[in-house]
Amino acid sequence: MMVQPVGIAIERVSKSFGAMQALADIDVQVKAGEFLSLIGPSGCGKTTLLKCVAGLLPVDAGRIVIGSRSVSGPGGHEASLVFQDFALLPWATARENAEFGLLLRGAPAAERAAAARHALAKVGLAGSFEEAYPSQLSGGMQQRVGLARALAVNPQVLLMDEPFASIDEQTRRILQDDLLRLWSEERKTVVLVTHSMEEAIYLSDRVVVLSPRPGRVHRVLDVPLARPREKLDVRASGEFARLVDELWQILKKMQ
Amino acid sequence: MTPRLTPEPAFGRAGLAAVAGLLIVWEVLGRLQLTIFIPSASTVAAAWWELLANGTLLRSASSSLLSLAKGFVPAAVLGIALGLAMGRFRTLREVLDGWINALMSAPLSALVPVLIALFGVRDTVVAATVFLFSFFVIVVNTMTGVRGTERSLVEMARSYGAGEAALFARIYLPAALPAILLGLRLGAVQAVKGMVVGEMLISLVGFGERLIYYGNTFLIPELYAVIVSVLIIALLSATLVQACERALVRWK
Repeated sequence: MMVQPVGIAIERVSKSFGAMQALADIDVQVKAGEFLSLIGPSGCGKTTLLKCVAGLLPVDAGRIVIGSRSVSGPGGHEASLVFQDFALLPWATARENAEFGLLLRGAPAAERAAAARHALAKVGLAGSFEEAYPSQLSGGMQQRVGLARALAVNPQVLLMDEPFASIDEQTRRILQDDLLRLWSEERKTVVLVTHSMEEAIYLSDRVVVLSPRPGRVHRVLDVPLARPREKLDVRASGEFARLVDELWQILKKMQ
Repeated sequence: MTPRLTPEPAFGRAGLAAVAGLLIVWEVLGRLQLTIFIPSASTVAAAWWELLANGTLLRSASSSLLSLAKGFVPAAVLGIALGLAMGRFRTLREVLDGWINALMSAPLSALVPVLIALFGVRDTVVAATVFLFSFFVIVVNTMTGVRGTERSLVEMARSYGAGEAALFARIYLPAALPAILLGLRLGAVQAVKGMVVGEMLISLVGFGERLIYYGNTFLIPELYAVIVSVLIIALLSATLVQACERALVRWK
């Protein structure tokens, strides 16, 4: 089941919406198995960039390569998206939601059910939760289903668009720890869009800071904190605080 | 959170109490013998029973219900299809939206003579009237349901490789289902209206023929008995659609 992680090459990517230039000349190399965050003030195009990587938006110039495949449209099997608003089908149970990616890719029912169960168990939603509808689940649990759906297709890359932004702080920290644990077990490449400096530092190997209008790569910050961070109580360390402050100083000067 | 479109049961305790209250007021008003146009509820009930027993209601109903089905089923099928297409494709929506709105608010009864000219004086006219009365509300509700689909659901499905057909079947249709069923429920009530209007204007068939006849001959209790029957059919149609809603939309 384990897949080899792949890198992502974002090369001189530009993107405009009408007269508004959203991205200008973006160059980012994501290493295989790396956890990379995109952060920046609103209007910096971080979500636009993520959607370009997912193939949902075509780029105007430059190119994006995931592994060995050049991205030309949505539906590539290398990457799964995780959405800020979870994007769960309200009419489908947790299990049916987790199966949805496989369903669209034409997998047989037995294989779908097995993969969905396995993925739900991985995100901590085994048993009776499988048959619950999203409206019966808390926000944190809904995003666990969203994550299970992304994992069920066994992608090499996870693209996460502010996945924990609408989840309360306590639950968010638990989800962040669970994500780190999953990431170390599954060896996936992760690109995470966030507006939380703590989240970016806590989770990432590197943080790419984008500047707004048009979005450009402003700085790339290395995060040399030891792993596994979910076990080392990294949030309480002075080094963590120093890195968050360094990121804050960069972002503050941009305002 | 999407708005709740599934209705409460039509016959709650308060609803039954209201009907009982209305019947009592009606009975009292009738007993006062103010005018022959307000017969008491019991007189109407007796007339209704008589019409049922001598087969008049069943004869009318068989003709009326057939026209109702012949008009409503195509209105539902075509209305949902057009509504889905208009919800999804902007150009189509821009071309047809004005027409749909105009025809939905137009006094459709005025069009029945045109239908008679087109179809002749036959039950086909009644089916056509039923169609016209119920079609537009089904189109508009279906279209609204499709347009209310969460964008992120569409993006999510596309990100897993969904093409246009899969988007329709897996996202737009289920997302619009509550609104479609609401449209069908409103459409069913409109359809009964259309049925009576059509039958009355050509005055040869079904309940409409009876309404004209009893109206013209001042058989007022019988007239009310037919009106009550029509109301019962309208309520039953709406309740039937509502039962489908409960079966299909269990996730709310």
